[in-house]
Amino acid sequence: MSASHLGKTPLDIAKLRDAVRKRLPELLDTVRGKKGLILDPQLTGPLSLIAEISILKDHGVEKIYHLDDNILDTDCKNLIYICRPKLKYMKYIAAQIRKDRQDTSKRIEYSLFFVSQRTMLCERVLEEEGVLGDITLGEFAMEWIPFEDDLISMELDNSTWKELNLDGDTTAIHQAAKSLMKLQQIYGLFPRIIGKGDSAKALADMLIRMRREQAVVEEVSSSTSRQNPSLLNSLSTHIDQLVIIDRNVDLYTPLCTQLTYEGLIDEIFRIKHSFVELDPSLVGTAPAPGQSVSAQPAATPAGASAAVAAGKKKNYALNSGDKLFSQLCDLNFAVVGGLLNKIAKRINENYEERHQAKTMAQIRTFVGKLPDLQQEHQSLRTHTGIAEEIMSQTITDEFNRMLETQQNLVAGVDSNSEVDYIEELIDKQEPIVKVLRVLCLMSLVQGGLKAKVLEHFKREIIQTYGYEHIQTLYDLERLGLFNVRTSSNASRAAYANVRRTLRLIVNEVDEHNPADISYVYSGYAPLSVRLVQCAVQKISAGHAGGSVPGIGLLVNVVGGGSSGTIGSNQTASQNGGQDKTDKTTVTGWKGYEEILKLLPGAAVDEVQTVEAKNEREAKATAARAKRSLGSHHKKTTIVFFLGGCTFTEVSAIRFLAQQDEGVRDYLVATTQMINGSTLLESVIQSTPFDRGESVEQV
Amino acid sequence: LSLEESFGETDIVERISKLRIALKLYQDDRNHTFEAKMVEDSIKVLQLQTQLEKDLKESFVGLSISQTIHKCIILGQSSKAAKIKTDFKVTEKRFWWIKLQGLVETRDWEELEKF
Repeated sequence: MSASHLGKTPLDIAKLRDAVRKRLPELLDTVRGKKGLILDPQLTGPLSLIAEISILKDHGVEKIYHLDDNILDTDCKNLIYICRPKLKYMKYIAAQIRKDRQDTSKRIEYSLFFVSQRTMLCERVLEEEGVLGDITLGEFAMEWIPFEDDLISMELDNSTWKELNLDGDTTAIHQAAKSLMKLQQIYGLFPRIIGKGDSAKALADMLIRMRREQAVVEEVSSSTSRQNPSLLNSLSTHIDQLVIIDRNVDLYTPLCTQLTYEGLIDEIFRIKHSFVELDPSLVGTAPAPGQSVSAQPAATPAGASAAVAAGKKKNYALNSGDKLFSQLCDLNFAVVGGLLNKIAKRINENYEERHQAKTMAQIRTFVGKLPDLQQEHQSLRTHTGIAEEIMSQTITDEFNRMLETQQNLVAGVDSNSEVDYIEELIDKQEPIVKVLRVLCLMSLVQGGLKAKVLEHFKREIIQTYGYEHIQTLYDLERLGLFNVRTSSNASRAAYANVRRTLRLIVNEVDEHNPADISYVYSGYAPLSVRLVQCAVQKISAGHAGGSVPGIGLLVNVVGGGSSGTIGSNQTASQNGGQDKTDKTTVTGWKGYEEILKLLPGAAVDEVQTVEAKNEREAKATAARAKRSLGSHHKKTTIVFFLGGCTFTEVSAIRFLAQQDEGVRDYLVATTQMINGSTLLESVIQSTPFDRGESVEQV
Repeated sequence: LSLEESFGETDIVERISKLRIALKLYQDDRNHTFEAKMVEDSIKVLQLQTQLEKDLKESFVGLSISQTIHKCIILGQSSKAAKIKTDFKVTEKRFWWIKLQGLVETRDWEELEKF
């Protein structure tokens, strides 16, 4: 895997990867002989991150197809479908099978694996289509896709946030809970769960319930569990807490344009499953053979097929395997140009060394360095290309005006120019996503818009972008993104209050030498990450500089559990009042109740402890705890974003990890990676006409 | 909501009738006066667009109002564009933007001079 790591967590993320990777061949082996693999197009990306094509080949896969509405013509005797449980796919599969059935000479065996769970609904559809009997059904649990050592994602669709808050569809919570349980099984119980937001509360409750269920199951089959002890019975020695942030709590952040390097790449090119599609001219000549091996652990099925299909766009992997990228990705874009320049100079100097090489030995060492140097050179060229492309966008007036507007909004600078600006955007028929992003941000920050203004915008948008957006706007309203300002000042003041107390706006930002997370947005500190700071570091809101770690953070958290404590799930009240154990260093929400009240949704604060069944177990746990203390393990905090997180937030959290002077590590887990556009796109209606004609083509 | 259905409908007649149903639903609800009015407008637009298609032998259905105006201008039908503008109370500012873009696209500098 990747040689250099972005964030160093003591958790062995490879374990996670292996867990999934092991299961794929097992799954493939359930079908004998040569087989064809048919994949959900949305899964190829994530799958390619965990399994190489060679693994598939080793297990008898001859061909890989994408699942779509085309009828597949194949000579494979066995077909394996892997897809998410979606009705659309069921229909495709059914059509395929029925077509094959007409041709009696073929005898194909079908199996279908749902990621991550089968649903009643899908089985019903298959039954109605009359093909259920022909298929062997199964499940393929793919919980976490590790992107980096400190970033794992479930890679759900982009619509999770919308499903949770608009459609009331809580499948995602269930999936998240299952995936987090998996983490607990591997690493042990999270000693503490805190969270903010209604969905976060639901998730925390579900986690606790699942654990109880698990305990019951294990008690029943205690004989088997002895042989295969689950770590659910002991507190994790590495992880000190889980912080769940419900996307609904902080919608401001994704709506702003991201300003870190990786964030901007995402805004402009869109990063999909840590791959970005680039113009081949940017990537330059064919990558050196050495690079494709190291930078991209897999010659991916996705990469291979996409390259053949598109021919134009090239997939480029963005991960820590690319050393240069790992240096750049979290930086504010303002700095990137200079740094690239510096690196270019250094590489050049390195090349120049060859002239100084006089003796054979010197030449040999130089040649030895050459492959590395060339690889570095290659990635430098690519990143310069990307940076130039981004630069060409960021120096435009439109980009800067957009940025200025956003910053005025989040900073609460009152002026009417924003309204005019948005109007102008509509008049120019800019993409609707862009318009809605600013509008929603304005509505959010100001606690709604004046009724007259709101109606005006609604009319303008509908007339400009089409009537299907009646629905879009209505949905946004229900999501609380686009509202009439109520008479009370409370909602209006809410954001202003939060901004003040949490110091979301930092005026003096040194992008080159950042002192606070606000550098990622050039002055605006993402609210979500501030909340994490609140939860993790005991700092007074006054100087929330992020540089003052709490006192005695290293005091044993596990202590409460190991001394054979009472009560299984001691619920610390939301107000943090009943916090019995003084030893508990993680302060939870204590001290921030006031701020939390200003934000929507419930707050969660639960302590999980272990009920030691007997003396011996208790001792064992205590011993383990001591061992971990003795070896000065850093504690890891898992930050789980329910409903997606942006690359910028990841950067900000990485920054926190550095700031803490190595006291604490962070692992970011999320349902998927998002940005403001993808967030809104899930809400925006599309019509068959949208794909047809657009103004530009007329 | 039957509104979504109507937009999935490709046939115009079907679409209008579906929209009518949606309109009724919205009218029944007092909280949705704005939506009701908009749906009403959308029916009008569709009717207008079918009319335009007959007159100009160009496809219009599915375009938004701005796009319709835009297309009218490109096709040199500025009087029709002006009529749409008054019918749907398009703001002055937006209309000029659209007109400007349209005229530039067709390189109709003479018309542009008249501003």
